[in-house]
Amino acid sequence: MKHKRLAIAVTTAFALQFGAPAWAQVKIGINVPLTGFAAADGKSALDGAKLAVADANAKGGINGEKIELVIYDDQASPKEAAPAATKLIEKDKVVAGVSGSYSASTRAAAPLFQAAKVPYVVAYSIHPDVTLAGDYVFRTATMGEVQGRAGARLASDLGKKKVVLITLKNDFGQALAAGFKEAAPKFGVTIINEYEYSMPDRQFGALISKVKSDNPELLYASGYYFTAGPLVNQLRAAGVAVPIIGQEGYDSEKFIEIAGAASEGTLVTTSLDRDSASPVTQAFLKEYRAAYNSGADMVAASTYTATSIAIDGLKKTGGKGGEALKKAIESGSFSTPIGMITFNDLHEVKKDIQVQVVKGKAFRRHSVISDPVLLAPPTKAK
Amino acid sequence: MLFVELVAQGLVQGSIYALIALGLTLVYGLLRILHVAHAAFFTLGGYVGVMVANQTGSLAAAIVAAMIVAGIGGILMFRLCYQPILHQPPFVPLIASIGLYIAAEELFRIIFGPSGLSYKYEFLQGQVLLFGMLRFKQAEIAVMLGSAAIIGVLSLLQTRTRIGVACQATVSDPQMAESFGISLRRVGDINFFVGSALAAFAGVMVSVLNNLVEPTMGSVPSYKGLAIIVLGGLGSVRGTLAAALVLGVVESFGTIYLGHLLDRNAIAFAFLILVLMWRPQGLFART
Repeated sequence: MKHKRLAIAVTTAFALQFGAPAWAQVKIGINVPLTGFAAADGKSALDGAKLAVADANAKGGINGEKIELVIYDDQASPKEAAPAATKLIEKDKVVAGVSGSYSASTRAAAPLFQAAKVPYVVAYSIHPDVTLAGDYVFRTATMGEVQGRAGARLASDLGKKKVVLITLKNDFGQALAAGFKEAAPKFGVTIINEYEYSMPDRQFGALISKVKSDNPELLYASGYYFTAGPLVNQLRAAGVAVPIIGQEGYDSEKFIEIAGAASEGTLVTTSLDRDSASPVTQAFLKEYRAAYNSGADMVAASTYTATSIAIDGLKKTGGKGGEALKKAIESGSFSTPIGMITFNDLHEVKKDIQVQVVKGKAFRRHSVISDPVLLAPPTKAK
Repeated sequence: MLFVELVAQGLVQGSIYALIALGLTLVYGLLRILHVAHAAFFTLGGYVGVMVANQTGSLAAAIVAAMIVAGIGGILMFRLCYQPILHQPPFVPLIASIGLYIAAEELFRIIFGPSGLSYKYEFLQGQVLLFGMLRFKQAEIAVMLGSAAIIGVLSLLQTRTRIGVACQATVSDPQMAESFGISLRRVGDINFFVGSALAAFAGVMVSVLNNLVEPTMGSVPSYKGLAIIVLGGLGSVRGTLAAALVLGVVESFGTIYLGHLLDRNAIAFAFLILVLMWRPQGLFART
């Protein structure tokens, strides 16, 4: 009898030991640009994702299993993102994927996750095609067109009617411009001119001379902090004093650092409200600062959100991926640093747009645009 | 009015291009190498500049330090990377050069981080009003005057000093120069030092203009510099200067009136192709 018990105990011990790797860890994959032109956003994104995983692991993981984040660098490029997605799915066998990357790379990865039926939560890519890949793809960011519409509304709220558009010539900038142009007539806002620039441009002397001669009441300029910082700096140095509306791409402390004093008063439509009363947001901002010794930006907050939505979904399914996880995410509502999130039938997010303004070298709340009709993301129907 | 402003902005941009492309011309003239990695010294200049300026609070110190560090870096690259492969066909050093540039870019990212550095103090950010209508940033004026002064001094040195004449002689006929006792290695050192130091000066000035130094800031100059020296007629210093200024002005107008069709860099290359169709030897070829 004693022997039998011992035998069972030993067998169980061995079984546990050898069986362990099969369920020891829940793997979540992420593609982020860690090298190349988008490396700075990639770092913020990865920091956000790691914080979400560390938070969840500190609270006991998923059913007591630790979560492991499998990371691939996609250089924000489709040709890197596709093999990264394949590796995550085939080799690492992740149960969920997160995109901490730009639209071009995310658009390349999304169909692969869709085909493998691995839910893919996209943090901050804004191109419409991303969620059209299929029903396993979710997006926590407000689409470019929707943000553009909010920009037109903001211009009108500020009482400005004559606008010049300065558009970054990539899918991010063009989606924003399309949304702005679509909504502008509704608010009586006239676009008197539009100029385009490309990603490597940092010097805008000629463009600014022309903008001055247009004499607009407001500028709607798309870009990332590394283009917008020099742009705003040079605009103000050239004596252009009209309000400037930027978007999520500006949302980084680096923008304020680069544009310097010229950044004061710049308005940004984004998803992170630093002055939010929400305890989730405030806890995130505090934890992020403690962990990385810098302020969180929109990219970090969004990737934290995307990762924690994948984790929350996995908690509901007990670590199971596939269809169960997809259903858990699409039916769930998630309290995140960028607000309460639910998904529509196209797996786009419905939420208000936060308007932040640079004041005293920091982003502060300016206003909130809450207009469910104007800000309605596309649905499956259209 | 707008016309004058666009020309002026084009000249600002053109003087930056001139500073970068001069080093390329010097190297091409001497070694017949298309020195893509030259742009790494532009970035290096930016980084050394921003770090020294933030430490000392002096832009002058930053410029001097950047030029010296990049100049020495240039000599090292010549001695360690190019000299051992000079006897190979020209595409070998070209490929090595591209590799060196990519390696340098990643090295900057690893050492200084991906998100770039900015100045802690404000340098030359004030406005200057010229002729009552042209508004410039002080830094823009400084770029134009600085490059004109540096290039002027260089051309004096080149024609009035022994070593300057030796450099010219080497460029026009290396073997003959060597038989007259001129050390090719020494001339190479000087060309790399001067060229890299000029690129570093441009790097500091651009970083002041943008208030940003980033690992990828050399990627556009790396290939646009090549376009400029081809445009100027390969190896011609005067041609390079003129081509740089012309290209700056063409881009300035192009970004405004063709910007919705072509981006700035595409405009530069379209212009290059047009010119080469008309004058295959470049705008200011020596032969």
